Amino acid sequence: MKEHGNKGTEHPLSILMNGVYAIFSELGFEIANAPELETEWYNFDILNVSKDHPARDMQDTFYIKNEEKKVLRTHATNTSARMMEKMASDGNKEGAYISIGKVFRNEATDATHEMQFYQIDGCMLGENINFSNLKGVLTKFYKTVLGEDSEIEFRPSFFPFTEPSIEVHAKFNGKWLEMMGGGMLHPNVLKNAGLDPAKVQGFAFGGGLDRIAMIKWGIPDIRFFYHGDLRLNQF
Amino acid sequence: MKISYNWLKSYISDLPEANKLADIFTYHLCEVEGMEKREDGDVVFDLNILPNRAHDLLSHQGVARELAGQLGIKFNDLTPKYKVPESKPTNLKIDLQTEKCHRYMARIVRNVKVGPSQDWVKSRLESIGQRSINNIVDATNITMYDSGQPIHAFDLDKLAGERIIVRPAKAGEKITLLSGEEKELKEGELVIADEQNALAIAGVKGGKVAEVDANTKNILIEVANFDPVSTRKTSRKLGIPTDSSKRFENDLSPELCSFAMLEISVLIAEIGSPERSEGMEFQEIVDIYLNKQKERKINFSTDFVNKKLGANISSDEIENILKQYCYTFKRIWDNFEFIPPVLRLDLVIPEDMVEEIGRVYGYDKVKLEIPKINFKPVQNEIFTKISAVREKLLADGYNEVMTYSFTNKGEVEVLASASDKKFLRTDLTDGIKNSYKLNKLNMALLGVKEIKIFEIGTIFLKDKEQINVATADKKGIAEMSLDKFIENYKLKIENYGNLVPRTSPLSPNFKMWSQYPFMTRDIAVWVGEGVESNQVHKVIKENDGELVVRGPELFDSFSKEGRISYAFRLVFQSYERTLVDSEVNVFMEKIYSKMKENGWEIR
Repeated sequence: MKEHGNKGTEHPLSILMNGVYAIFSELGFEIANAPELETEWYNFDILNVSKDHPARDMQDTFYIKNEEKKVLRTHATNTSARMMEKMASDGNKEGAYISIGKVFRNEATDATHEMQFYQIDGCMLGENINFSNLKGVLTKFYKTVLGEDSEIEFRPSFFPFTEPSIEVHAKFNGKWLEMMGGGMLHPNVLKNAGLDPAKVQGFAFGGGLDRIAMIKWGIPDIRFFYHGDLRLNQF
Repeated sequence: MKISYNWLKSYISDLPEANKLADIFTYHLCEVEGMEKREDGDVVFDLNILPNRAHDLLSHQGVARELAGQLGIKFNDLTPKYKVPESKPTNLKIDLQTEKCHRYMARIVRNVKVGPSQDWVKSRLESIGQRSINNIVDATNITMYDSGQPIHAFDLDKLAGERIIVRPAKAGEKITLLSGEEKELKEGELVIADEQNALAIAGVKGGKVAEVDANTKNILIEVANFDPVSTRKTSRKLGIPTDSSKRFENDLSPELCSFAMLEISVLIAEIGSPERSEGMEFQEIVDIYLNKQKERKINFSTDFVNKKLGANISSDEIENILKQYCYTFKRIWDNFEFIPPVLRLDLVIPEDMVEEIGRVYGYDKVKLEIPKINFKPVQNEIFTKISAVREKLLADGYNEVMTYSFTNKGEVEVLASASDKKFLRTDLTDGIKNSYKLNKLNMALLGVKEIKIFEIGTIFLKDKEQINVATADKKGIAEMSLDKFIENYKLKIENYGNLVPRTSPLSPNFKMWSQYPFMTRDIAVWVGEGVESNQVHKVIKENDGELVVRGPELFDSFSKEGRISYAFRLVFQSYERTLVDSEVNVFMEKIYSKMKENGWEIR
């Protein structure tokens, strides 16, 4: 166990967060942030999630009493949405953003599910930013975090905000694990943000930070992160 | 969706072996959640069909067509071999009173004989985890798992007449389901009714009143298409997700009804009346289909596909993929005009074709390339401030904690929470206070003389959210906004702080703590001058047993009258049980006697 000496110990998620930011900063990404209590527009509509999409059900999303059209964000992708909108209003055609933020899901908790957890979310846009770039960036990222010898795969998936959509899987300690979702930004998302899909294209990705910490360090229960227990600060 | 290998094989003679199929699914279609080898030699896959392919892949035929297309092998279309029964005139009337039913097809079949199904029917259903009920119900289920189209059969003689009404439910209208359960409907929820009763909740579940039973002689077969949103809302509200509602929720093509009506008719002709198949009477199909699904065209080019994928797929390769699937398309040089198959409601825009081609071509074949763009990142102010505050507090010996955003009182309340903590925190103080208490109890275990902790986190006030900083130590709890903290401590925020990748793969593994209470023992000895503390440490260490989780730690030493006193602390804890005094005392006694052997005096 790490000695609790003169210098204070960091929360494992902070250690990981800084590490993730460092990797993406090196790749040219700008750190971004957005509200945790968000409008439905930035959490859903702008991201091409239709009004009737099952993800918008109360069973999954926290809506706010007496605050119509507000939700606790269900993913950190609201940050990418806001940054794309900013790109459009600034007249920029290129950009790359990374954010790690707390997200919320209305669900029963257990060792692998929490009502709050952290998500890594990012996007990169330009005239020619393509799927091969997505593969390059995410492979670099996971190999840095999990080790150069870890294997990374991209498998078909579906999300309303990307087309094509993929899931990133990593082989860690001999086991394949789902790490992240992503894909090429759906033209509706670009349009909603005010960008022209004929001129700008790009990729977006998002996935759990807590999950990486659990896999990387072998932490058995996601709830440990939020108990305020210093026995967790071992690294 | 459970998919049987043998069932697929009836459509593809050259089907690769099961393990190979699992890889094809994983890398080119969807996740394989399970794979079960059955006693009869069949292999059953549990496929996690993606929502955009639920239109066509919640079915054996759909999966078989997809595989045949992907592998470029022959799909055996069985329809030309169907012995389609001759049909007689009908008096059946369909009264469609809602737009939420996009198509309603029905036909009457007389002189069926309800009984147990044939063995091949039973084994097909059992292979995918379904129970055989009787030949008629089984025929509807087999057709659904084969084609993807939900089908319902009513006992015609239990209906008020040969007229089916598809209408919104009246407020408070009740229906007893096949399961015997009674449900009250909300106004506007869709029902299938005769002139007297609601017979079924449209697309969700059938009712008891017109149930097919052992005495049923004449049936009405329904093959319909219901609105996805309305079906989902009804099924969710009533808490009855069914194989039928799951399919309608994902939006099926109304065109599928025609295929399915043909298939169920052929199947009923084959198994609907084992003893007197000659006597069955198939009446004409009544088909209400007002807004026919329109044909779509997607134009895309090879350049477009490559620009999105960053690949070098040739026009010939694209053409080959489209040909393998027997898709309808035209190619003019490097441009394609593509007409999606009627069931492929997911193919709408050119980007959909990038995915269609990309996943078949293989995402693994697309190279890795780290991009360069002309973009100058700007330093993020909030992150920089948080980093500066964290670095300062860590340097001052404060340890970082995180606590819950949810609490039981506050200014912002969430709706329908699964937990009893329905409010968002208005401060960090409550959370850090509990954290302080918890850690205080564990001080000996942590090996610290005092607890110093901090949290940086978002709080939620009526009209805004704000990042606060809270600290707790023996002087108490202090909390303020991030900006206030920076101002108070005059922190410089020009730099990102300690932003280096500290996540090498060699970092140590987490060590789980014990859930059982720990026990602390202090031991102090007088030793002669010249005896180093590490000599005493060594003796304790060699004799303290396997239950020590922390220590021996020197916490006090002083010299007096030519002697030195060393005080060490040991923390005992078991991962399996609560320790009792007597077992710890055994180790302590052993340490005491070793001390004496060295001529040291226990204080």
